[in-house]
Amino acid sequence: MPMDEGMRAGRRATARGPGRPGPRRFLILAPAVALLAALVTACGALTPGSAADPGRPRTVPSSTAVPDEDITLKLTFADAPAMVDALVAAFHRKHPRITIEPRYTQFADYVKSIKLTMASDNAPDLAQYAVGMDDIAARGDILELAPYRDAYRWRAKLPASALDQLSGSRLTGPGRGAAGKRLYGVPAGLSMTGIYYDKELARRAGITRPPRTLAEFERQLAAVKRAGMTPLGVGALDSGGLHLWAALLNNAMPPAEYRRWIKGERGATIETARALAATRKLAEWSRKGYFDDSAIGTTQNDSTGQFVRGRSVFLVNGNWAAGQLAQAMGKKAGFFLMPGARPGARAVSSGFSVSYAVSSRTAHPQAAGAFLDFLTSAEAQKIVSDNGFLPTDEDAVPVPRGVLGEVARAHRRVTADDGMNHFPDFAAPAMLDPLRAGVQKLMAGRTTPEAFLGSLQDVWDERYGGGGR
Amino acid sequence: MSRGGRTARRPSGVRRVRGRRRGWLFVLPALAVYLTFAVLPALHTAYLSLFEWDGVTLGRWAGLDNYRRVATDPALRGSVVNALVLVVFFSFLPVVAGLVTTALLARHRRRGMAVWRLLFMLPQVVPLVAVGVTWRWLYGDDGLINETLGGIGLGGWARAWLGDFDWALVAVGLVGTWVLSGLCMMLFLSGVHKVDPQLYEAARLDGAGPVREFVSVTLPQLRGELAVALTVTTVAALAGFDIVYVTTGGGPGEETAVPGLLVYRLAFSDGKVGLASALGVVLSVLILAVVYVINRLARPERTEA
Amino acid sequence: MSTASPAERRSGYALLTVLALAVVVPFLNVFLASMQPSGEPVVGMAWPEHWSLDNYRQAWTVAGFSELMRSSLVIAAGVVPATLLLSGLAGYALGTLRLPGGDGVAALFVAGLTIPVELIVVPLHFDLRSVGLTDSYLGVILVEIALFLPFGVFWMRTHFRTVPPSLVEAARMDGASAWTVLVRVLLPLARPSLTTLGVLVFMWSWNQFLLVLVLIQDAAKRTAPAGLGFFVGQNNTDVPMLAAGTIVVMLPITIVYLVFQRSFVAGLLQGAFKG
Repeated sequence: MPMDEGMRAGRRATARGPGRPGPRRFLILAPAVALLAALVTACGALTPGSAADPGRPRTVPSSTAVPDEDITLKLTFADAPAMVDALVAAFHRKHPRITIEPRYTQFADYVKSIKLTMASDNAPDLAQYAVGMDDIAARGDILELAPYRDAYRWRAKLPASALDQLSGSRLTGPGRGAAGKRLYGVPAGLSMTGIYYDKELARRAGITRPPRTLAEFERQLAAVKRAGMTPLGVGALDSGGLHLWAALLNNAMPPAEYRRWIKGERGATIETARALAATRKLAEWSRKGYFDDSAIGTTQNDSTGQFVRGRSVFLVNGNWAAGQLAQAMGKKAGFFLMPGARPGARAVSSGFSVSYAVSSRTAHPQAAGAFLDFLTSAEAQKIVSDNGFLPTDEDAVPVPRGVLGEVARAHRRVTADDGMNHFPDFAAPAMLDPLRAGVQKLMAGRTTPEAFLGSLQDVWDERYGGGGR
Repeated sequence: MSRGGRTARRPSGVRRVRGRRRGWLFVLPALAVYLTFAVLPALHTAYLSLFEWDGVTLGRWAGLDNYRRVATDPALRGSVVNALVLVVFFSFLPVVAGLVTTALLARHRRRGMAVWRLLFMLPQVVPLVAVGVTWRWLYGDDGLINETLGGIGLGGWARAWLGDFDWALVAVGLVGTWVLSGLCMMLFLSGVHKVDPQLYEAARLDGAGPVREFVSVTLPQLRGELAVALTVTTVAALAGFDIVYVTTGGGPGEETAVPGLLVYRLAFSDGKVGLASALGVVLSVLILAVVYVINRLARPERTEA
Repeated sequence: MSTASPAERRSGYALLTVLALAVVVPFLNVFLASMQPSGEPVVGMAWPEHWSLDNYRQAWTVAGFSELMRSSLVIAAGVVPATLLLSGLAGYALGTLRLPGGDGVAALFVAGLTIPVELIVVPLHFDLRSVGLTDSYLGVILVEIALFLPFGVFWMRTHFRTVPPSLVEAARMDGASAWTVLVRVLLPLARPSLTTLGVLVFMWSWNQFLLVLVLIQDAAKRTAPAGLGFFVGQNNTDVPMLAAGTIVVMLPITIVYLVFQRSFVAGLLQGAFKG
């Protein structure tokens, strides 16, 4: 921005009176303030924002019949552009009269703008489901899909846990009890986090198999440390830290209790003894030097690159890294879930789906529904799997080899145990930054586990109006 | 004046008044764009700062709550403190560096000075985003700075500078020092070269060494340039966004969060539009106050002008 | 002061050289990184084994820097002439015509010199969206003009005030209208000031980041710096390609800077500053 007043103090305009802004500026500000006051007191109609438009439908029509005409749908999304392109192309081959125009936005930006995008009058017809979609559903900007779920029999084709994550359960009011019956999105593929390891390096530290308990994993971390290597790669500059924290939390806090918190149910809290124990564990690992000194300044991408180059023995990351690791490391790479306290404990992990919702402003809900149903087909599932995501229908795609297969098998265990938890940042739109910054502070010893959990609960309380009421 | 002269002047006077009114037509387009797209939004921000609004649903009147929160919330207050710390690096260090080099080079006749000047002002010209990206690599784990430290036997000092709780803000600040030092230097040097050489000769006849010459002759003559440099660099520090966004995103923890970053984050990701607006207003008032003070201090002795 | 001793002279050059290195090394580091094989991790500052422009080709086509550059140019092409025109007209009227109330308006513009983007960006997003000016070049162009006008008007007004009044008076005596005076007499004299303003506005427009980040969500319409900002978060691992992109983004403004160096330096040294 241009600016300078100092310039006037310089040679140029020293003595030219009229330009002298000091007191004059306040002469300008005074009427401005008066105008402002007038605006404020004038009327409530100036209050920013407006009530939901009652004229729009809230639910898809009962008919699934796609009209026989040329239709173009806009799709806005943030994950896996290659996968979306392939899905869109395959769908177009099946329905030549329906064209889908995908529009990619980077994830961080997508999450920031999705609420605004869906509220605008030229909202896209289809949108990838993300944090904040529950609020968008509550406002009526996306359509409720239950009629299509029943007509297309999605319940039989899709895992219950994935559908449950898309039920907009944060809706308040009388309909709340029926939340489980609602549906606001359909998943194409699923995601899940876990721990990768370098089998060769692990063997050098005397580790020959993935740990079966948390205690065993801690012994392995200590062994690696003794062997002079960095035990655990964490890309805590962005979301690697919160994935690690969530992994520890998943195995400490009962899933039912955690899910109540994520969904914003009355009285839920993260300030529990078990969550505290999990948080302390993370701080303890940091104190013991199980992470690289620079983990806080490393992105997930970079931590993955370093893992490939043998700079750490273990790595916290999600299924989305499996393709890259399989390619770069081949048989050397392995994968396991963060183990629980006992052998054979319930398999719990964090994950979500790459899912799509339908705008309530679309002119073509049936065509959008046809696309959503296409996502459940074997052809679409093959595309999903080829792009490194986990298929919603495990039987549609053979289990791949190598580390990709280990991820797929781990995912089956989690699904079988009903152990898939939401990522913790789903608790509130403002949760991501406190989580990221908080875990960084924990790792650097700049905050206590108690204060960390307290800060998360503060955000939660602000979002849901206090836990006690 | 003769009568003839008077009558000749009257129509011209009328034309001048009409001409003046028509003169406003020259100003009007600029004024309209400026009012619509800068002044009005600024007032709108002030208005929004009095609401609790998520950007979508109906807002709720909040009075001065948002301002109270800016004053009490540790993260928000911390961002203002961080910005003030950055002033040291964006403003104080470049000005000092500029003065020192000016003192050392003032007697130097500037053969080929234009080339040096071109080079030293380059960091000021390229996009700050590109500057941030550049420094992100320099500060990286395997970056030039760590490699150099390792090369001269100080490997123990190597760290991920931008991810270090103690060093991140310093590292970000030094990027600003790098960007703005050249500008300050050139500003002062060009100012010095406008100083009347007789002043220096007089000082030298009095037996003044380089130091006294600088303090008693050069510095007072640079008052105007100092005001420019301080204004430009301080505003760059307080209103900074680009460098922080690209290098650290505010981390680690909230160590490098600045008001600009939080305005963006609060309004567009956390759904706290009112709070973001209040922070924007506070930031602007702070900038206004600082600029006013600097320029007040810059011209006390010249009140008669 | 032209009588520096040889020792002073030598230490002066030594100092200049050290400072020049401090400026050059970061740029050199990026440039050398852009010459490394694509996708490889870059360690420190390494001389490339062989020179190739592959990363530039990659950045230009695959990463879409060609589109980003086009957006930036379109916006600058709208902002620069409009700002010059509006500033010139207003600066002329406020500087020479002695309009009633003109000083107040001039002060209103001066007050705008301190407006940071942060103060206006939040409501702009909502207001411009409601009239369909987000995700549009026009929206960004209008706001940038408004942001640069305070300096532009101030700059041109200052210029026109330095023009001897006798010159204007003489023309007026000959019966020239205000418009004719501006076009025939003052404009030719104003060329250096306009050029300086033009290159400064181009620079500010090219470098603008926060505004574009907020007003343009459509990846196809982002400007070069905004696109670069996004790529950093995304393509961390392919440093050589991103380094090439960084160079590409810096190049146009650097060329303009070299071509118009006199105007630039004049403007910057008189306290114009970027944001």
